[in-house]
Formats: sequence, structure tokens, C-alpha cells
Amino acid sequence: MSRTPSIPIRPEAARAGEADKIVVGVADLQVARDPSKSIITYALGSCIGVTLYDPVAKVGGMLHFMLPESNVSAEKAAANPAMFGDLGMPILFDKVIAAGAKRERLIVCAAGGAEVLADDGHFRIGSRNRTVLRKILWKLNILLAADDTGGQHSRTLTLRLADGNIAIRSQGKDTTLWPR
Amino acid sequence: MASLNETIATLDRLPALPATSMRLIAMLAGGGRDADLREIESIINHDEAVAATVLRRANSAAFGMRGRVAGVADAVRRLGTRELCRIALETQTSGMLANAGRSYGLRRGALSQSALGGAIAADELAQFNNQNREVAFVAALLRDIGKLAIDAIAGPDALEKIAAAADARPFLAYEREAFGADHAQLGALLCERWNLPDDIVRAVRGHHEPPSNPPEPLTDIVHAADCVARWAGLGLGCDGLMYPFDAGTRERLGVTRDDLESLVADVLAATTPEENPGVIPHRRTA
Repeated sequence: MSRTPSIPIRPEAARAGEADKIVVGVADLQVARDPSKSIITYALGSCIGVTLYDPVAKVGGMLHFMLPESNVSAEKAAANPAMFGDLGMPILFDKVIAAGAKRERLIVCAAGGAEVLADDGHFRIGSRNRTVLRKILWKLNILLAADDTGGQHSRTLTLRLADGNIAIRSQGKDTTLWPR
Repeated sequence: MASLNETIATLDRLPALPATSMRLIAMLAGGGRDADLREIESIINHDEAVAATVLRRANSAAFGMRGRVAGVADAVRRLGTRELCRIALETQTSGMLANAGRSYGLRRGALSQSALGGAIAADELAQFNNQNREVAFVAALLRDIGKLAIDAIAGPDALEKIAAAADARPFLAYEREAFGADHAQLGALLCERWNLPDDIVRAVRGHHEPPSNPPEPLTDIVHAADCVARWAGLGLGCDGLMYPFDAGTRERLGVTRDDLESLVADVLAATTPEENPGVIPHRRTA
């Protein structure tokens, strides 16, 4: 009689010992105002993680978008706008501001946008995600404070709500993206 | 570092594919010709995890028009042999892969989810290319099974150190340097040991380096499905995106960027538990 462990567990779900973490899944966004917590997203590959943080209100938010533009699937865009950079980013800004952040105080950082090796220009999902990130920020008239994007490796991104510290873990190494 | 002989010796220490999984694969690969509903029902009844998934799936939106199912027997009647075989195989493979990929820095469940995401993509790509959907599903589900062997031989942090020093070559090249074989070759050896059909063995072996002369349609499909799963953020460890997407495969499959991006969105939706894992609307990508 075979006994297999139960069905797949969503890797993004918070694990034991991670009660202080708010986990952002793929194509997901979270906003919080709780200085005891961090917002984290795992394994950004070609996807991009965008963080917003207001250091005065101590409100922060994170989006993990997967594809640049929503015109690829109207149905998916309606079901989950956070899947797409062009729709997810304005929603993230709105939600963070609704939670008490002031737009002019927001510190915006980003990570991810990696590319598969030797992409001969056909797909370039990572770089097109990077382009849409910049395009939307340009439209919103907001500058990117810091970013760690491109390459071929995956990144885990954490925003600490107590002070806005942004950490990246990639290939076993931890670095601080903000403050610089 | 390990020699090829040491690496191959680790294969003996790995758990075997359950006998029931082998039967399910044979039934799926045979197009359901020798599928026996009573045998499938018995497999389901003897595996709590499979039974739970079957019940949940039978009650899901895709099948839920006729009220809630009464029990496993009712669910079996509703879902049909093909769907039942898939659910059972998916669940058993998830069990094997749940803790796999540790040496790549993967979290628990990440490789199971990536296996399923790739299988869903392979199914759609096979449909689009008039290939056998069930065989494509199985081959993609098992494509990274060789990572179990790498886990068994790689020391802690070994792969992370390799990845940190990588100089933009495909990750398989580093695996071969360190262990004498890469996870695709090791996966194919495992599939051979389990007497799986030859085309599945070849697709597992070639899923990062599909051959072009002559090309193998199933391998092309599993290769593209693997890329789609990566773009959906599935199964990304320290090896990240250090695998090329073969231009020949892209041409042979006739897929455009929009096709693949739409598939990435489907895979994500189907591997997110709230939305019926594994169930996607059947449609041709335009």
C-alpha cells in the first residue's frame, strides 16, 4: 500500500518560523502597515518584484508580476491583474496610498527580470518586464531608487516594514539593495 | 565533485517509482486502451493523497455541474479514466518530488509544482502540434526527476557555489563537470531503470538540449514546456534561468511569443491551488 505525502504545497505559502513574513506569490501583491513584519517574494526569475515604501507612515507594498503586458490575455488580466506589469503597478501604488502612504515619500525598488540563456531576441520576457517597469514609472513620474535586475539567476526579495530595508538573496548570497 | 561511477551508484539508493505509477503511465501512454477502471479505483482507494485529490477535483468547477460527489466511486465515474490516471500520477509524482531540489535551493513543494506546471504546458503544446498529449504530460511531469540524484550526491551549498561562479554557460555543463552527468541524463537513466517508454526516456534526457538531427517532437514539446514553467516562476533554484531556449525547437513547434506568454499565464493559473490545479480549458493556441 503506497503512502505518498499529501498533494503539492504552494511553495509561496508561509512556513513554520515565518510568522513575521507576509508572502507574495507569483502574480500577487501585498500591502501592509505592520512594523513587526517583512514582505517577501521567492524565486524571481524573469518576473519582477516591485517594492514601495513610505518611511514616515511605515507602509509598504510589493508586487510580483510575471508578464509585461495584459493584452496577451484579457481573460487572465480580468481574473488576476497582478500577473501583468502594466496593470499590477498602478494597483500597487493605489493600494499603498490607500493604506496611508504619501506618493511623494515613496521609495521604489525592483528586482528580477532575468533572461533565459542565449535568447536570440524572440522572447526576452525578462527585458520586456524591465521595460514595462520603467515605462509605468515614467508615466507615474516616479524614479526608481534602486534595482537589481537582469542576468540569469533567480532572486528572493524582502522588504522590512520597520525601516524599509530591502534585501536580496541570490545564489546563497545576501545583499542589501536599500539603503545603498 | 564526484565521478560518473559514483554518481550512477547513487541511483541505486533512490526510491523506486511506485509500481502503481508505472501502471498509470502504461495506461496513459497506451491511450487508455488497457485502462481498467476497477484497477484505477483500487489505486485511488489505497492512496489517501490520491483519493483526496480525486474528490477535490471531482467537486471543482470544471466538473461540478451536478452537485457534490458522494465518494470516491462517484468521483471515479464522473472524471473518466484519463483524468483519473493523470490525477493519481500527478499526486504520486508530487510525493516523490516534494522534498527534491534541496541542492538547488528549492523550497519544499517547489519541484512538484514545477513538474505539474510543465506537464500542463506540455499537454497544450502537444495538442497544438498533434502529438500524444498523455505521453507529453507524463514526460514533462518526470523531466526533472534526475534532480533527486543530484540532491543525493551534491554536498550542501555545492550547487549554489557553482552557480555563483557560473560564466553564462548552460547549467548542465557545470553539473557534468561536477558530477560526471547532468540531471537530464540522470533522469533518463532513472526512467530507463523503471522501464518507461523509450520516447519518454529520450524526452527527459533532451529536455534542456533537444536534438535536431533528427528532431524528436516529444522532446521539443518537453523542452518548450520547461521554459514556460520557468517563465511562470516555477522551480527556480540557484540554476535560475541558466538554460537556453533552443531556436530549432521554437521553429519546429511553430510557437510565437504570444502563444508562449498565453501558456505561461495558463500554467500559473492552473498551478495556483485556488483555481483547480491541473484543470485548464482545452483550446488551441492561435
